[in-house]
Amino acid sequence: MALDFRAVAHKSWRTIASIQTGVVLLILVVILAAAGTIVLQRPVTEPDEMQSAYSPQALRVLDAVGLTDVFHAWWFLGLMLLVSLCITAASIDRFPNSWRFFSRPYKYPDESFRRASHPQKSVPIADEETGLVAAQRALHSLGFKPERVVREDHFGIFAERHRISEMAVYIVHASLLLIFLGTIVDGLWGWRGTLNLNEGQTSNIVELRDGTTRMLPFAIRCDSAGQENYKDGTPKKWWSNLAVVEGGQDVKKKQIVVNDPLLHSGVRFYQSSYGPNGKVDKFSLVATPSNGSGQTKEIALAVDDTVPLDADTTVRFAEFFPDYAVRDGQVYRKSNDLENPAAHLIVTSKRAGESNAKNFDVWFPPLEEVADNSKSPWQFHATDLKMGHFTGLQVSHEPGQWAVWSGVVLLGVGLAFVFYVVHMRFWAVPVCDPKTGKCSLWIGGSANRNRDAFEQRFNDLVAFVEEELKTIPSTPREQVATVVAN
Amino acid sequence: MARAQAEQQQPTTGITLIVMVGLAIAFLLLMAFLNVIKSGNLLSETNLLFATLIFYAGAGALYLGFGVTGTESYVKFASLATWLGLVANTAAVAHRWYEAGHAPFSSVYEMLLSFVWTLAVLTLVAEKKFGVKVIGTVTMPVAIVGVVLMQLLRTEVHPLVPALQSTWLHVHVTLAMLAYAACALSFALAAMFLIQDNMKTETFLAVTSASTLAIYAGVVFTRFEKWGGLSLVAWDPERKSEVFLSRGVRLFVNVPDLGWLMALTLLVVASPLVFYGLARWKKNDAFLTVANRAVFLSILLQVMALVMFVVRANDARYPSLDADGLFPTSLAASPFILSGLVGGVFISLLYLLLLWRRPDLGRLLPSADDLDRITYKTICLAFPLLTLMIAAGAYWANQTWGSYWSWDPKETWAAITWLVYALYLHMRITRGWRGRRAAYFAIAGFAVVMFTFFGVTYLLPGLHAYA
Repeated sequence: MALDFRAVAHKSWRTIASIQTGVVLLILVVILAAAGTIVLQRPVTEPDEMQSAYSPQALRVLDAVGLTDVFHAWWFLGLMLLVSLCITAASIDRFPNSWRFFSRPYKYPDESFRRASHPQKSVPIADEETGLVAAQRALHSLGFKPERVVREDHFGIFAERHRISEMAVYIVHASLLLIFLGTIVDGLWGWRGTLNLNEGQTSNIVELRDGTTRMLPFAIRCDSAGQENYKDGTPKKWWSNLAVVEGGQDVKKKQIVVNDPLLHSGVRFYQSSYGPNGKVDKFSLVATPSNGSGQTKEIALAVDDTVPLDADTTVRFAEFFPDYAVRDGQVYRKSNDLENPAAHLIVTSKRAGESNAKNFDVWFPPLEEVADNSKSPWQFHATDLKMGHFTGLQVSHEPGQWAVWSGVVLLGVGLAFVFYVVHMRFWAVPVCDPKTGKCSLWIGGSANRNRDAFEQRFNDLVAFVEEELKTIPSTPREQVATVVAN
Repeated sequence: MARAQAEQQQPTTGITLIVMVGLAIAFLLLMAFLNVIKSGNLLSETNLLFATLIFYAGAGALYLGFGVTGTESYVKFASLATWLGLVANTAAVAHRWYEAGHAPFSSVYEMLLSFVWTLAVLTLVAEKKFGVKVIGTVTMPVAIVGVVLMQLLRTEVHPLVPALQSTWLHVHVTLAMLAYAACALSFALAAMFLIQDNMKTETFLAVTSASTLAIYAGVVFTRFEKWGGLSLVAWDPERKSEVFLSRGVRLFVNVPDLGWLMALTLLVVASPLVFYGLARWKKNDAFLTVANRAVFLSILLQVMALVMFVVRANDARYPSLDADGLFPTSLAASPFILSGLVGGVFISLLYLLLLWRRPDLGRLLPSADDLDRITYKTICLAFPLLTLMIAAGAYWANQTWGSYWSWDPKETWAAITWLVYALYLHMRITRGWRGRRAAYFAIAGFAVVMFTFFGVTYLLPGLHAYA
């Protein structure tokens, strides 16, 4: 029984680690992801648009199998996990072999290897030592660090470069797993939402995508926000001056613009929208006494502000309508868009000797059916209306981000190694025929990729060796060194 | 015998073409120079583009001459003309960059400008580094079409909306251009491999006919309107933009009768495929001769459809089914249809080139083994570029929207492209796929690239509104 279980486990392992499984899984990912771009997706589509695009039955089926939200469906997540598992298993399965290759380089080629190896070349030599020295010097001049290898009574030369390249594919696979890990962490513990702030407002409540809210352990205050336009009127820049408030203290201040968020304890705030909030920031007026006496006064009001005009009179900014309509002598708010604004001021005057204060309504623009502006003891002339603005912030917390970006960097490095760093090996072995006593130097090489360029290099090496062989027997050592240097 | 004759004729015909192209370039430059003196503005973008066009056209003519006759001496002059055109093109890109203050990638016009530049560079690299001389026969006509298209599209500098003002975006788009150009190159090399691998000419017939058929089917099935009209997007010439009825809903105008012409062309374009099918089914090669004639006929009709489209869709006013009154439209409003029609003609012409000059092509192209290896190398170049492109895009999205991956269709298809090439690499490295299978894979990969580049923007519901 136990044996059976082991056989089954072994078989499943072989299956999950096989390239066929990997290919099938990747093809499945491709098909399902493509389906997710063709079928309208619930998270990014308005409900009525979904309903007009598909019949109710079709929609029910699509919803039931999860095709209307492919990228959040459990089976898509499951598939991604299977892909990760497959990558891991395949890497673990192949790693020991590669590691042996990496940790114990093959330095002395035996006879069968020498016969099968390509490229290879045999060069006639006078004796073993000359051949070894020539190979050593030639490899030196090609920039390698050759080493002498001893096997029983045989000598050989071995040189290699970029052995790390054999490990590159594991770097790539590990980096992919790191990226997956990051996205899973973000999916489980990350959140995204919005935070709208009026200028001057402070808040720590973020509205999340799913309609719930989240309290931050610190608050954000918007000091000011604005927009810059190009000459033709298209927006050029949106900005907000934000402050982080913790325990009543400003701990951080930053001007954010699109593409440049504010980061505070793992939460990032992005500039996402900007616009009028329908509230008055400052309403500037010039006030003149109706009886012509006294001085004109310049005042600026926000809603609910009260300002004294003279000793007996005050004016209060009572109401503001961004888009008003009048019906039956009443003013109504038609919408919150700044289309057709109206302002309501109340002048309160307490004449000397009178016990009760008297209120006068003043409207901008003058609304005769509602009130008569001329009754007021002060007359007003509006000079400027500055509206308040809100800034719309996207808020996100992505705790897995570090894994994603380090995975991306690792992936770039890994791919660079996979494609552009070649593990090159050269061997040189002197072979002497015991019958004839004639010796030749066997030279072989191998590269794990880009083999045609490698063959060129191999031919260079052989040419160098042949040149060295010409100089060695007749020339003393010192002179050889200068020849090589030249 | 024929070969010997051709070789005897080479010196005279060779010089004739070079002299003619040289004279044409000189004449056009002289005319342009006179114009420039009159306007007094030497280094304007229009002039630079015009110079680019003249040189590329000369290069294209010479490369085509080389492709058709195999005269080696054309290549030297062709690459000289390409170099000169590239200088003018680089100046135009630099001018645009300086004037706009950002890398020229933010509109279809600017993308074309950069694309043509990349294409010329790749042509020279492929020729000088890898010795694939015939590549200019394919790429330079594409570059010429690109420059002509640019003349029709908007040229004024368009300010960048805030989301696009990011270095990472420029990195992203530059990488995308390079990656897609490398994919295109691998596709061309894979196609050449199939030629060298003795794939049957009629298979190319089927594939090229199917591609043109797909283009016309796409146009007719999405744009054919009541009473034989063709729907085109309305274009506001003042604001140089498409006309929108409401957010995201474009106003279409109805060009009368053009729909019928497109439908007719669709039928004629389908006919070679039908005859090919008959030839396979009845096992009778006589149908193939008919099919080849039908290709010829389809080219005539395609050219007619293209000309009528250009004539009628450019700066004219037409009624709309959705609103009262006449609305203007322009070629600039339908860049995809235009490039589709031009592409259709081009694909069919390439097939004719193959049909008539197959033995010469076999002589001119590198060997099948070399092409197989170079295809693989190009993909080895394209894959890291694709990876970095996606990474830069994700980083930019994270800076702008606070999310590095949101599964929008463009992103998803970029990932699909990446996966397809990843599959190719795995099959090649671990399973040892070589030759035909690898070439088919490279071609399929490029089809996915094309879909990501055009199809997603055009066919799928998407948010990647900028490109």
